[in-house]
Amino acid sequence: MNVLIIEDEEALAHELEIFLTNHNYITEVCYNGNSASEKIAINLYDFILIDLGLPDYDGLDLLKEAKKNNPDAACIILTARAEVYDRVRGLDLGADDYLAKPFSLLELQSRMQAIIRRKFGLKQSIVELGDFLINLTDRVITHHENIVNTITKKEFDLIAYLILHKNRTLTRTQLSEHIWGSIINDDYDSNYIDAHIKNIRKKLNIYAPPDWLETVRGLGYKIKMNA
Amino acid sequence: MVLFVLLVPVLIKWISHNYVDNNLIKQKNKFLQIVKIQGIKNYIPDGEKYGSYYLPVKEEYLTIEEAAPQYFLDTIKNEKRLVERDTIEYRILSHTFKINSQNYLLEIGKSVSTLDETSTPLQNIALAVLVGMILLTILADLFYTNRVLKPLGLIIKTKLIGHKFPNFGSYQEVKTSTSDFQYLDISIHQMIETIEATFQKEREFISNASHELMTPISILQSKIENMFERDDIADDTKLRLLEMQKILNRLKSITKTLLLISQIENEQFLKEDKISLQELLQEVYDEISIRLPEKNLTFDIVIPQDTILVNVNKFLIFNLFFNLVNNAIKYNREDGEIIIAAENENNTLVVNITDTGIGISPEDMPFIFNRFKKFRQSMQHDSFGLGLPIVKSIAAFHQIVIGVDSVQGVGSNFKLTFPTVLIGQDVYL
Repeated sequence: MNVLIIEDEEALAHELEIFLTNHNYITEVCYNGNSASEKIAINLYDFILIDLGLPDYDGLDLLKEAKKNNPDAACIILTARAEVYDRVRGLDLGADDYLAKPFSLLELQSRMQAIIRRKFGLKQSIVELGDFLINLTDRVITHHENIVNTITKKEFDLIAYLILHKNRTLTRTQLSEHIWGSIINDDYDSNYIDAHIKNIRKKLNIYAPPDWLETVRGLGYKIKMNA
Repeated sequence: MVLFVLLVPVLIKWISHNYVDNNLIKQKNKFLQIVKIQGIKNYIPDGEKYGSYYLPVKEEYLTIEEAAPQYFLDTIKNEKRLVERDTIEYRILSHTFKINSQNYLLEIGKSVSTLDETSTPLQNIALAVLVGMILLTILADLFYTNRVLKPLGLIIKTKLIGHKFPNFGSYQEVKTSTSDFQYLDISIHQMIETIEATFQKEREFISNASHELMTPISILQSKIENMFERDDIADDTKLRLLEMQKILNRLKSITKTLLLISQIENEQFLKEDKISLQELLQEVYDEISIRLPEKNLTFDIVIPQDTILVNVNKFLIFNLFFNLVNNAIKYNREDGEIIIAAENENNTLVVNITDTGIGISPEDMPFIFNRFKKFRQSMQHDSFGLGLPIVKSIAAFHQIVIGVDSVQGVGSNFKLTFPTVLIGQDVYL
């Protein structure tokens, strides 16, 4: 998958590059709008990450150009100016998603995965974990023939996020940001993730012990599965 | 004025005395004239005392008698005289005069009680007139000041009391022909403009500062995440990265919250959503229910089934309730309860969020909506004192009135009054 990163903040662009390269994307980086405009006109990409706050270019204009020259590319807007109107306009102009800075790299990857599933028609995304089958599309967990219907929406979100980032330890901070990120409140250290994981284990244990859901001491949680 | 009222009796007494004295002198002169024409023998034929009284109440009298040659008198004073067994106080004119080298003493008296009798009604009338005048003056003053000061009242009402900080209306001139009031009106307006500009600057500053902080935070967050993923990093380094991540997250929360508040205050949100209160509160419950078992709290929602809110921003209203419920959980006791109850009241919707928590002390109460205000009792909790400021700005943005009641050790009650414009009439679809 080819990704074009348009980000004038070099340090951030660099981190995005490292992260996406580690996750087997082929990346190109532009630090300004003009060079990005050229690249968009010449090359074809699967993903274009556009920072709206470029010094020399209106990010929304780049988005228009991208939609014209790279109609198949998925565009994700990255911006520090989380203005409501920007968001609405960006999505109106055909952006596939919108991430407000500061965002987690895991969140970016999760959005990209969702787009891939949507765009490239992975109809049923079913993951096998021990004796459990987890259907990420229909959001259903089954154990042999039985549907595990006690899992709540939040709990499924956690499982799905851990599956998406399988074999990797996710910290409580990363997990809370994913499931409570949009809520603005004045807690900065809520460890309610532990309570959620405890509940998930209790509910699944009725069917079979979910050994694949591991606690990484002091660090966080991970789901272990074979590639 | 008071001095004048007190002086009136004295004054009247003085005037009537003066009048009487003049009268006495006139009578004396008249009598001396008569004596000159008719001769003293007419009154005192053989050295006897002559007396004449105006009977029957002995109000006035006149006497003439011979006096020793060296005797000389010409006075007017109050004295007592025994007249036919009655002692009566008189105002007496004494005058000595010589006829044919014989000295005579003339006394003309007028009784003092008569004097007072005439002056008392006079005093009363004067007093009545005076009181009447005072009342009239007061009424006239009231009417006049009311009329003249009307622009002042208008200025106070529209410019000072009517203002809701920090939202000021546009300048509207108060109609007045008095230049002082025009000056006052303009001055107040200029003052308000200054305050408004300062408020605006503060908001812009917070907005810009939080925006500017977003990018560096974003870079740090990405760096930490990338480092955390590396295989060659030892576990104790990972633990330290985790700490960094937590602290960065705290910085991020504060910045995001400040940005949110400034965005609300700059009215950068639309109010176009139509939501079912029941469903919204259910969503809040779904998000937050994981925090209830820790203290074994019960949570009840008692609201009319078809309560619809219109002209609101769903995201903000959600955050309003989330933060209030979150506080109700954080400051609650073991086995406590939280109740959200709503009812319609005079075309408004009143929602009460009641908890059985530690409560708010009366000293802290005035400051609970202040940013970064932390209270001793909340130190044990991981928060930075922006929960209630969020609630306050969201409520102000929607013109929702917040009332707080709290008894320490018993619990708190947050009362939200939704105005009529936010209440949907039709059935939620």
